Amino acid sequence: MAATEYFELGTLSKPHGIKGAFHVYLDVDDPEEYEDLDAVFLQLGNEMVPYFITDLQIRSNLNLMSLEGIETVDAAKELVGVKLFLPVSMLPKLKDNQFYYHEIVGYQVVDKNHGTLGTVKEVYSTGAQDVLVMTYQSKEVLIPLMDEIIPKVDKKNKLIHSILPDGLLEVYLDDAN
Amino acid sequence: MARSLKKGPYIDYRLDNKVQVMNESGKKSVIKTWSRRSMISPDFVGHTFAVHNGNKFIPVYVTENMVGHKLGEFSPTRNFRGHIAKKDKGKK
Repeated sequence: MAATEYFELGTLSKPHGIKGAFHVYLDVDDPEEYEDLDAVFLQLGNEMVPYFITDLQIRSNLNLMSLEGIETVDAAKELVGVKLFLPVSMLPKLKDNQFYYHEIVGYQVVDKNHGTLGTVKEVYSTGAQDVLVMTYQSKEVLIPLMDEIIPKVDKKNKLIHSILPDGLLEVYLDDAN
Repeated sequence: MARSLKKGPYIDYRLDNKVQVMNESGKKSVIKTWSRRSMISPDFVGHTFAVHNGNKFIPVYVTENMVGHKLGEFSPTRNFRGHIAKKDKGKK
């Protein structure tokens, strides 16, 4: 399976106790959805190595995970900071008005005022908010992924409906930049 | 050392003027700025700023919880974009 067919679930943040358990940071919206998880992939170098989960406790302030074969605190310390992955096929199904960022890559952006613009190249985070990268007139245009600016995503027709604020396109089309 | 309270928050006067003019006219167009050190005042809420990060402009749509922070905090100068995997948190 290629690396691009995995999504990042979280990170083994630090050892817990003396029996090789970990504090786990789960970088997901709803950690409870992963309570019944049996196995995860650990990114060791460039390899994705599968590990069975022997115990997983999802709590409001703390997530604990034990992995098969990791039974001492020393073994756990060696894996601190390692990222956890799952196959993309295991992502929970979303409602119609929800989407994953990787799904909208390639979608066409249609603006209320400017009409059809370009296609989505990628989506990345700038910290406080996420930004959609679109190619328009062979320039890279960034659009904040906010409900006020992107009110609707039409998954059926692969369209993103936007209401761009005045002057946003000009910021990127101006050659002086 | 923190800025003296006597002086009030620092906001670039040209940027502040642009926002005031837009608020009075009810327009909401993108404001290009290089003033990363300007603090976000409550008047900025709902406006979109194109904040320069040294390389390009990053659009920042200002919401209420950004008030009191600096514009530069929302326009990172370093971006890690080459991740090998997909993220799950991008739900909408």
